[in-house]
Amino acid sequence: MRRMLLSFVVVILPLLVNAQFANGTAVDLQPVEIIASRNFLPEEAGMKTSRVDTLIIMDKINLSLSELLAENTPVFIKNNGRGALSTASFRGTSAAHTQVLWNGIPVNTPMAGMVDFSLVPVYVIDAVELKHGASGIADYSGGFGGVIQINNFVDWNQRPEVKYLQGLGSFGTHNEYLSVKAGTATFRSHTRLYHTYSCNDFPFINRKIGIIDSITGAIINPSDTNHNADYRIAGVLQEFYMKAGKHDIVSLRYWGQGAQRAIPRITSYEGPEGVGQSRQQDIDHKGVMEWNHYGSVSLLRVRTGISHKTLNYSLVNTIAGTGAYPAVSSHSFVKSLFNGLYYSRSLPKGFKLKGAFDWNIHQVVTEDTVTKTGYSKLRHEQSLFLSAYKSFAGRLNLNFMTRLERVDGKLLPVIPFVGFDYRVLPEQTLLIKGHIARNYHQPTLNDLFWVPGGNPDLRPEHGIAGELGMEMAWASGDVKLHLEGSAFYNDITDWIIWLPDFKGYWEPQNIARVVSKGVELSFSGSLLLGSVGINTVANYAFTRAINYGDPVAWGDDAYGKQLAFIPRHSGNAMFKVTFRSFSVTYQHNSFSERYTTSSNDRIQRDWLYPYFMNDLLLGKRFVFPRFSIDAEVKIYNLFNETYHTVLFTPMPKRNYLLQIMITL
Amino acid sequence: MVSGCMKDDELWKHRPVPVAQGYDGLFIVCEGNFMYDNASVSYYDIHHNKVYNDVFYQTNALPLGDVAQSAVIRDSLAYIVVNNSGKIVVMNTRTFRYEGKIQGLVSPRYIHFLDSHKAYVSDLYARSLAVIDPITMEITGQISVKTPENYSYQHPTEQMVQYENRVYVTCWSFDNQVLVIDASADAVIDSIEVVKQPSSLACDRYGKIWVLSDGGIAGSPYGQESPGLTRIDALSAVIEDTFRFDPGDKLLELKLNGTGDTLYFIHSDVYRVAVRGDFQPEVFIQRNRRNFPSGGFYALGVDPVTSEVYVADAIDYVQRGWVYRYTAAGILRDTFQVGINPGTFCFKPKL
Repeated sequence: MRRMLLSFVVVILPLLVNAQFANGTAVDLQPVEIIASRNFLPEEAGMKTSRVDTLIIMDKINLSLSELLAENTPVFIKNNGRGALSTASFRGTSAAHTQVLWNGIPVNTPMAGMVDFSLVPVYVIDAVELKHGASGIADYSGGFGGVIQINNFVDWNQRPEVKYLQGLGSFGTHNEYLSVKAGTATFRSHTRLYHTYSCNDFPFINRKIGIIDSITGAIINPSDTNHNADYRIAGVLQEFYMKAGKHDIVSLRYWGQGAQRAIPRITSYEGPEGVGQSRQQDIDHKGVMEWNHYGSVSLLRVRTGISHKTLNYSLVNTIAGTGAYPAVSSHSFVKSLFNGLYYSRSLPKGFKLKGAFDWNIHQVVTEDTVTKTGYSKLRHEQSLFLSAYKSFAGRLNLNFMTRLERVDGKLLPVIPFVGFDYRVLPEQTLLIKGHIARNYHQPTLNDLFWVPGGNPDLRPEHGIAGELGMEMAWASGDVKLHLEGSAFYNDITDWIIWLPDFKGYWEPQNIARVVSKGVELSFSGSLLLGSVGINTVANYAFTRAINYGDPVAWGDDAYGKQLAFIPRHSGNAMFKVTFRSFSVTYQHNSFSERYTTSSNDRIQRDWLYPYFMNDLLLGKRFVFPRFSIDAEVKIYNLFNETYHTVLFTPMPKRNYLLQIMITL
Repeated sequence: MVSGCMKDDELWKHRPVPVAQGYDGLFIVCEGNFMYDNASVSYYDIHHNKVYNDVFYQTNALPLGDVAQSAVIRDSLAYIVVNNSGKIVVMNTRTFRYEGKIQGLVSPRYIHFLDSHKAYVSDLYARSLAVIDPITMEITGQISVKTPENYSYQHPTEQMVQYENRVYVTCWSFDNQVLVIDASADAVIDSIEVVKQPSSLACDRYGKIWVLSDGGIAGSPYGQESPGLTRIDALSAVIEDTFRFDPGDKLLELKLNGTGDTLYFIHSDVYRVAVRGDFQPEVFIQRNRRNFPSGGFYALGVDPVTSEVYVADAIDYVQRGWVYRYTAAGILRDTFQVGINPGTFCFKPKL
């Protein structure tokens, strides 16, 4: 087991990254041995785990994690506009039900509990791993939808490397990215600097403003521009890795990022020009230090991390003749300290044990300096994780996990997980897998204390989850296929939802019961025909997220209805053809109609029609003796469609990005 | 491979509402949800008990806007104040046709007509009330309500009533004042401190102004007190009495009947009370959900001619609401479904 783990961390993962630069095609990236071993690990028994191909990550390096997930995983991303807030709905659950970890420490803030995926650039990601549904208990609790891990790793054998990316695109968009890798056989450094800016001033027909033609009396919708929507993200990721002897690796990682973005006014607004100027600033610092000791049959890991987030939001009204006045000036500071101790040990006869203890401390201070409202709270979270795995004759793996948590001194009910993998045919990757588990999600600090609206009487969400699926991997010569399907069922009690209140603000409430159930299918394949390589990845999810809360009154039509904004059908497909140094990638992403009301009214005006998005990427690699250049033209919204993804928020029509990456 | 399939054009097809014209009726203005741009107008034929929803959008293929806070019908036109769209949309009440807009307003809340050529518009953030000409649909002036002693603070003006030449204005959000405006000078001449967060007000037939305050928000530094009703003598602008409710009670929507002698308001249930005599409100309509703090009712309207009472239930505020119609004696007469967050009842007079 030690060899397997070491070979995976030290050898195989770097190979995944290196392969594309060495050969330029995806077909060389996934040796069949890796597929086989990773699909039948006892510690992953019963868990649905998926990973985004590293080649795809590199292809989409200029995008955000929201786009990467939407286009390559079954996770549904609710995108509030270009460059705007993007949240995840994983298996029909809410945004706070997807836990995101960066190198093991949570990215979700204890304030709102969710992650804005538009603020996580792919630049900082080496690997993305999704643990679907209750499988995420292995990493963290509360992820009813699942856990998304974004990780960085080291390549001990790579020679020094410098990469520079420059992108220029429509609407005043430009991207810059610099990566420098250096080091020795025992010490490695990887530095990344990145910057993205977009004026984001695309044109659109404003259907929400009517001008009456003085002659004909007809109502005319004017041409408009997406004003006050610029965004800028700049950051640095620094990694250090050191081999301290034969059995120890120490790593230190720091990720700092600043994001500034304007939030455009609602497009029906016809007040004075200087009114409603909203801006949001997110400044994040994250650091994590880790020591891994690889014993002969054991692994000991000690991790400590810090996170500091500043979130400023302002709404300023500039009124002619009187001046500029803030209507909202909100300042939030979140400090977190993460400490974790992990130990795993392999025992004879296919047994393996794991234990972990985490102690996280969060401090939140938030205030609106205009209304003088806010709160200041401290939260302590302790989590004890124990698990045991057993492999039976290479055909059956069993996995028992349990997590015990204490929040602010209050012990939560035990979170258990029982899973299995059964290999149908000897030595073949044809697996039947399943699990049953319980999960638990504590209200966030905003849920409890936000002013106005926070509800200190909220009960934690809890539920049971079950899943049954099948996975197949097959490789023969230059053909590789991977197919996976699963059916899931989550029954969640006391689901927390924010609803408007009669006083005009929103407040969270517990819904008695929500059931999310559905099917996920994924397929990936690659084929090499001489100098032509073909790669394809496709995902489909059928999701029913149904409100079974008690009707609040006569006439309440929400019972038994799909939760708002969650589509029943969603899917994506990527098809890439490479020929020598050329490549063409077609990307399709779609989801079915969504409802904006809890009663699923299909009102013409409020109809969020089915979404079908098509992008095309054309690439060419130029190889020189000492460096290479990858040039790409990316065409987004290929068919020049007029559409919106949330009610009436305009989106850009066909647009372009030209990208050059130089590798030394 | 799917291409060019998104159906944005489907949203903009005209589907005029087949309504017979010329009779009196009731408009229900539905706020919609903040930032959703899904405000709407429903029309209810009070003689035939028939409701027509979303009449403005269906007639004009134009969304009404974001958060339709209030509306007033003047002659044949409805002036719909669309708060988060910074404008007042003018709609013909017979044809539902879009007739124009008064734009350039910061965060308008309510409109009060002084005459055909002059109206005041209250505003949450403008630091002033706008003076407008409803005929030309233009802003003609401002009445400053900023407080010079505090740079960042201003009076967020709300509902208005008129007594002779004075307009009384509530200041709701984190405020406790009722401003008194001289309508001929267009200037604030006085202010009256009442219970925290005065939202709605009404002037009875005896010249008494009743102000309903929700008492503020729990946990805010501005503080919270017991909600209450304040009675002000309109002539002298002096508080005569204050009637307190229990701390945390949910009070909203103060209305008068057509003869101006009976008050109605929502206090979980719908209550009514005579404006004279001992202040002893009685339950007029029982709430439809016992375990819900606000009782579920969201808006209230009293027919000025028949004194029939209309009460709206916004359910969970993210689905279409329901309206209950009661006779003047409190007997349920009809129920009908309207748009999201029905917040204002506007009775269309017989012309």
